[in-house]
Amino acid sequence: MHMRRRSFIKYASLAAAGNLAGMRPFGALNALAAPPTSNATDYKALVCVFLFGGNDANNMVVPFDTKGYANYANLRADLALAQNTLLPLTPLPNFALHPSLPDVQTLFNTGNAAIIANVGTLTQPTTRTEYLAGSSVPTNLFSHPDQQLEWQNAAQDSTTATGWAGRVSDVLAGSYNTGATIPMITSVDGDTLFCNGISTTPVSVSPGNLGNANCSEGSECSARQTAAQSLITFNSGVSLITADDHISSNAYTYSSVLTAATASVTPIKTVFPANNGLAAQLKQVAEIIQVRAALGVQRQIFFCGIGNFDTHSDQLTLQANLLSGISPAISAFYAATQELGVTSNVTTFTMSDFARTFQPNSNTGSDHAWGSHHIVMGGAVKGGKMYGTFPTLALGGPDDSGSNGRWVPSTGSVQYAATLATWFGVPANQLATVFPNIGTFPTNNLGFI
Amino acid sequence: MHKERIYKFVSHACLAMMLLTGCSSNLPPTSTTAVPVTPTTLSATAAARLLDQTTFGPTAAGIAQAQQQTITAYLNNQFAQPTTLLAPIPTTPLPAVCLASNTAYPCAESEWWSTAINGSDQLRQRVAFALSEMFVVSTQSILGQAIPQFHNALANDAFGNFRTIMQDVTLSPAMGGYLNVLNSAAPAAGQIANENYARENMQLFTIGLYQLNQDGTLQLDGNGNSIPSYTQAQVQAFARAYTGWTYANATGGSPAKFPNGTANFNYPMAPVESAHDTTAKILLNGMTLPAGGTAEQDLKGALDNIFNDSNVGPFVCQQLIQHLVTSTPSAGYVSRVAAVFANDGTGVRGNMQAVISAIITDQEARAGDTNSSYDGGHLREPILFLTAMIRGLGFTNTDVNGSYESLSNFSTNLNERPYRANSVFDFFPPNYVIPGTTLNAPEFAIENTATATLRESLADSIVNNKITSFTVDLSNTSTLGTMAASPTTLVNYLSMLLMHSQMPSNMQNVIVNTITPLSSNAQRVRVALYLIITSSQYKIIH
Repeated sequence: MHMRRRSFIKYASLAAAGNLAGMRPFGALNALAAPPTSNATDYKALVCVFLFGGNDANNMVVPFDTKGYANYANLRADLALAQNTLLPLTPLPNFALHPSLPDVQTLFNTGNAAIIANVGTLTQPTTRTEYLAGSSVPTNLFSHPDQQLEWQNAAQDSTTATGWAGRVSDVLAGSYNTGATIPMITSVDGDTLFCNGISTTPVSVSPGNLGNANCSEGSECSARQTAAQSLITFNSGVSLITADDHISSNAYTYSSVLTAATASVTPIKTVFPANNGLAAQLKQVAEIIQVRAALGVQRQIFFCGIGNFDTHSDQLTLQANLLSGISPAISAFYAATQELGVTSNVTTFTMSDFARTFQPNSNTGSDHAWGSHHIVMGGAVKGGKMYGTFPTLALGGPDDSGSNGRWVPSTGSVQYAATLATWFGVPANQLATVFPNIGTFPTNNLGFI
Repeated sequence: MHKERIYKFVSHACLAMMLLTGCSSNLPPTSTTAVPVTPTTLSATAAARLLDQTTFGPTAAGIAQAQQQTITAYLNNQFAQPTTLLAPIPTTPLPAVCLASNTAYPCAESEWWSTAINGSDQLRQRVAFALSEMFVVSTQSILGQAIPQFHNALANDAFGNFRTIMQDVTLSPAMGGYLNVLNSAAPAAGQIANENYARENMQLFTIGLYQLNQDGTLQLDGNGNSIPSYTQAQVQAFARAYTGWTYANATGGSPAKFPNGTANFNYPMAPVESAHDTTAKILLNGMTLPAGGTAEQDLKGALDNIFNDSNVGPFVCQQLIQHLVTSTPSAGYVSRVAAVFANDGTGVRGNMQAVISAIITDQEARAGDTNSSYDGGHLREPILFLTAMIRGLGFTNTDVNGSYESLSNFSTNLNERPYRANSVFDFFPPNYVIPGTTLNAPEFAIENTATATLRESLADSIVNNKITSFTVDLSNTSTLGTMAASPTTLVNYLSMLLMHSQMPSNMQNVIVNTITPLSSNAQRVRVALYLIITSSQYKIIH
C-alpha cells in the first residue's frame, strides 16, 4: 500500500474556488441557478455495483458447449460447477451462467443484459508475450486495494486521486445539472474514490436513512441546529477539523434537501428482497431516482457495493450465497425502473477488483487474478450478446499471464468505462479529459450500449 | 482565525473536580494566566490528552489522577497492569448474551465492549484494539468463538515483542480461519497453495507493498520509481511455507489427521507434517528455506525472514502512531519511533513497550499539550466515540444479562463493529486520503455525509439517555444538571472532561449563549453536550 507523507497542499481546489461556506464548488456554482426542468426523456443514470474482493467470473460465465465445458471441468476440478446446474443463455448457446443468477439469465435472454468478457486494468493493449517481456502494466496487479482503486479511477495507477465517475461529473455537471440541489453522484456504500472528481464530491446516503438527523429537543431543535451549524464555521487551524467541517456542512445541506424532496412521495410498489444488503442499496437508489425532478438532476451516477468475494477457500458455497443475493436484488431494481418508466434511462453495471485464478488452490478456493467478465443491464443495453474476447481457458496458454490462469485482459477497464460514459453524455472531444489513456486503445466504444 | 485558549477555565475545572473527586493539592491555583506545568506533574490539558491517546476515553477521576503523575510513571503503571481476558465462549449451550441470536459473535462483542470500557489495563486494551485494526479478523466469516483467544493474544502481547505478535496471530485459529492458513495443504497436482495469508501478511500486517526508508517515505530506484517489497513468486513461496496447519487436538497438540474436523478455538493451530509442502522456498532478501523443513521450521523461518525486513519498523510504527496519536505524523516522528523498533537501546528489535513509550512521549505527540491549534490529531472513530461517551459521562449497564452488545448496534450504523470489519482491509485503510486534499487520514474513509448525519442522531440518543441497555442521569438534579445553573460553569467543566480544557472561546460563547435561555437545567446539559460531541473540534482528537 502506498504510504503518504505529511501534506503540504491542503484544500487546493477549495481555495481556488473561493469557497466560503464550507461547501465544495458544487454548492457555490448552483446556489443561484434556475429552477429544475428535469423530464424522463432527458434523464440518464449509471448505477455501479462493485463486487469487493474479486468475483470469480470464471464460474459466473462458463463455456457450455461439449468441448468447452469438458476443458473447463478438467482444469477447474473441485471448483467446477456441474453442467446440468448451469443456466443456459438462449442467444449465446456456447455459454451459460452460474446457477445462482436466474434473474440475470432472464435479463440476458430478453435482451436487457450483456456480458463483457475478460475486462481488466490495462495501461495499453497487452498480450501475454508483452506482459512476460515486462511491458507497462498497471501498478500492483493482484493487490485488492490497488486494483479496486484502479477500476474506480480508470487511471491504472492507484495514486490518481479522482475516480472516473467524479471526472464525468466534473465535465457534465455544468451542462445537465444546472438546477441540481444535490451532487451528480450519490453513493449508498460510503465515499469511494470512484465518486470524487476535481470539483466533485458525492452525497453519501445510508440506505433507509437519507433524511435529517434525529432531534429530541422539541421546540429547541431549531436553536440547537443553528448553534451546531455555526460551530462548523469557526476556523480552528487544525487541518482535520477543517476537513470534517466541510463534510458536516454538506451533510446538513444534503440531508435537508433529501428530506424535503422525499417528504410527500408515493412509495415505490416494487418489493425488494429483505435481508439483502445490495437490495437495500438499490431500493434507496430507486427512491432517489423517483424524486429526480424535485432534486433538479438530469444526470446521476450511483455507487453500490457488496463484499466478501475474496473466496480463497470454500468458494463454491460462498460465491453461490453471494450471487444468489445479487440476482433478486438486480431483478427488483429492474422492476422498479419499469415502475418508474425509466428502464432505458438507467444502466447498471458491475465492477470488481479482479477475477480469480482459473487453477484451484489446495483449499477449495482460488486466488487473486486479473481480467474478468462483467455484466451490464438496462433497457438501453444492446443485450443478449457477449462483447470483447473470451479468453482461451488454458493454464500457461495464450491469455495466461503466468501458469495459474490469471488472464491478461483482452479489453481495458477504461474502454468499458468510456463506453458507459459516452452513453451517459460525455462528448467525444472530452473523453480524453476523463480517461487520459483511452487513446492507447483501438476503440473507445465497445458498442454494448 | 487564531484559536484562543480559555485560561480562566482552570478555576472552574478545579471547582468541578472538587465536586466529583476532590481537588488535588497538586492542581494549580485559580488563575487567569496560563497553567504553569512543573516537570513532574501534568496540566489538566496534558492529562486529558494523554488519556485520549492511551485509553478508551478520559473520565474526570482519571484526569485528576493522571495530573498527579509524570507521563513515564503513568505509562509504567499501565505497562504493569495484568491483561483483562475475554472469556471463552462455549459452543453449547451458548451464553445467555448470545443465546437468542444463536450465534457467538454478539457474545464476543459484549465481552470486548465491557473490557474496553471497564478494564484497568486501558493502555494494553487500547493498543490491542489498534493491533486488531492492523491484524484484521472478522466475524463476518469466522465464528465468534475464535475471537477471545485472538484478542487475548493481542492484549497479552501488546507490550511484548512484535515477533511474538506475528507468531501468535499466524497460528491463531481466528486468523487461520480468516485468511486460510487453517487447513491449507501442500498443493496436489493441478493445484496451487492458498496465497491468502502469504500475501496479506506482507501487504497489510508487516512490510507493505513498497520498500520504505526508516522515516516511512518510499525508497526510489534510479528512475525515481518506488520499489516493490515482494514478487508474486515470493507470495507463492510463503504460501507453501505456511502449509500443514490445522486445529489442535483437545490438549493443544497435533491431531491424528489433516484437516482436523473438530474445531478448537482455545489453542493455537498445530502442524500435521504430511500436509506440509517440503519443497524449498525462496523468501525475501535472498533467504531460502531448504527442502525438507517441517511445518514449524518453515513457519518460524518465514516469520523471522519478514520480521527482520527493514520495512517492518516504519510500516508498523506509522500505523500505530495513526491509531493512537495523529493521522499525519512527520517523517521525523515515524523515524524516531522506527529507530526504537529497530533497537530499544539494549539491542532488542521489536520491543513493543519501548515503541509505545516512544510514540506517546514524542515531542509531536505532546505538542498539543501546550498548543491547542497544533496541526495534528485523528478522527475519533465510531467505536472510540461510543466508549468515550460511556466512560466520560458515566453510563451504567442495565442489561439483565450484563450484555454490552447493544453498543454494536449503534456503532454499526457508523460502519464499525468490534471484530466485524467488512474485509481484511479493516473499517478504513491506512492510506486513505481525504478527497480534495492531500491529507492521509485513515478514519475519514468512513466519515461522509451519511455517517456524519448518523453520528448526530447517535449524539441525540446519547444525550437523551436512549442507549439501549445503559443509563445515565443527566436530570436537573444530577451533577451536571446542578452545575448547569451556571451555563459557563457547565461548559467549562465539559471542556475539561471532553475537550482537554481546550475549547475555543468562540465555541464556548456559542454554547453558553444557546443554553442560557433554556429554562430546564437538564435541557441545558443535553444541548451543551450535543453541541460539543457533534462538533468537529471534539470529533478530531487533537
